[in-house]
Amino acid sequence: MAVTRTQKEIRQRAPLWLLALLGVNLVLMSVSARDESGHKRLIQVWAQAVASPVQSLFSGATGAGAGFFQHLGSLNRAATENEDLRRRLADTETELRSAQMARDENERLRGLLDFREKGGYQTVTARVIARDPSEWFDSVMINRGSSSGIEKDMPVVTHEGIVGRIIGVSPVTAQVLLITDERAAAGAVVGQLGASQAMGSVRGYGSNGLLDMRYVSGLEVVKQGDLVVTTGQDSIYPAGLSVGQVVEFKQGSATSPHEIKVKPSARLNSLGEVAVLLYHPPPRTPPPTTTPSNTDRERK
Amino acid sequence: MKLKIAVCVALAVLLQTNLRLVWSPLVHLDLPLIVVTYFALRRDVVQALIVGFAAGLATDFFSKGLLGANGFSKTLIAYLIAALVTRVMLDNPLARIPVLAGAVALDAALIVLLHRLLSQPSLVPFAETAAYKMIATTVAGTFIFYMFDIFFSDRARQRRHFAFRRRAARRSLVRR
Repeated sequence: MAVTRTQKEIRQRAPLWLLALLGVNLVLMSVSARDESGHKRLIQVWAQAVASPVQSLFSGATGAGAGFFQHLGSLNRAATENEDLRRRLADTETELRSAQMARDENERLRGLLDFREKGGYQTVTARVIARDPSEWFDSVMINRGSSSGIEKDMPVVTHEGIVGRIIGVSPVTAQVLLITDERAAAGAVVGQLGASQAMGSVRGYGSNGLLDMRYVSGLEVVKQGDLVVTTGQDSIYPAGLSVGQVVEFKQGSATSPHEIKVKPSARLNSLGEVAVLLYHPPPRTPPPTTTPSNTDRERK
Repeated sequence: MKLKIAVCVALAVLLQTNLRLVWSPLVHLDLPLIVVTYFALRRDVVQALIVGFAAGLATDFFSKGLLGANGFSKTLIAYLIAALVTRVMLDNPLARIPVLAGAVALDAALIVLLHRLLSQPSLVPFAETAAYKMIATTVAGTFIFYMFDIFFSDRARQRRHFAFRRRAARRSLVRR
């Protein structure tokens, strides 16, 4: 026999429910905030791995739906002019849409293959299946994980330029922090590596999709339109990868650095396929533990 | 009914992860918050708390931020709205608009505050992002509330329940 509760009893139990649920959230937040080693993403990446088949289906359906409504507008305009032609064209447009999607995907994948052959890097090609639902962060989820050899902090690129780095990995999915997130950064140089001294670091700048390049000496020569590439000194991205192009520039001085805004070369708002570089940065040599004067004295 | 609510929450979270793929400004639209606010306005406090908890936590699973931040925020907002609706008549569609706007502002403030309290990197720019979110979510939420009323209102449920009887009554009249 079902237990019936009065409205008064339900309202009396509500604060207990509230305290219990808020308590669970507080515990999750404190665990998530405390763990710096990367295990904090364990629950999240496993939940993403479980949801990834549904996510893949949904992202495919969303993309197809958006394309369908765009074409519906043009079909309606054609329908007022000629009803017969619209019916016959409907079948042809469906085939054309499929062919165009396959062609665009082919071009992107060909670009990634060229990048892999020219760069000499081992890569894993992956598809973006979801973006961060929160407006405060800029990350994406891809459909490859540790089973494909992907590890944390590996760089992610397209044939146009760098996209970001891996921040969480499950067996079948991985989370990528985009370079436009304010918490992301990369070592970069304006111009050619080795030929230019205009070195600094790039990080995300607000929500307009630009990167802020900092610490470039005010004495170096920089101008709008200059290309920016990675330096390889941040232990994440290999040297020589395209970051973007200088779009805004404010001259610095001997005592203040330049203010540079960079437009990323990779099209981060329309990511389809990306390549994860199976790149491990060279180990850094440890600094010497003894001073030269001490060792000389010991020898004597 | 509970299954419909669960499907609604799941659809909202899945759509939220794909909005950016369609058009990047759509990220300012918070579908899970719209769903939570709607169910909080239905005067069932416990149901609202569970919907807020589930929607917030599901959003956290796919986000880079703190796990539990959205869950905390949306659970608290669900409770506050459910408590408010027992004291103030908010059945009027126009009255729901400021409630939704207030929920968006409180959600943004809570998430930023929780990240600051737990020594996470700050979330900026706050004012601009919160303003865009308030505008987009309030406008879209008004239309989504209207659609939800069609599916979830008691009157709609009664109409569907008696639809079979009305059809049978019409058929017997025609035969006579």
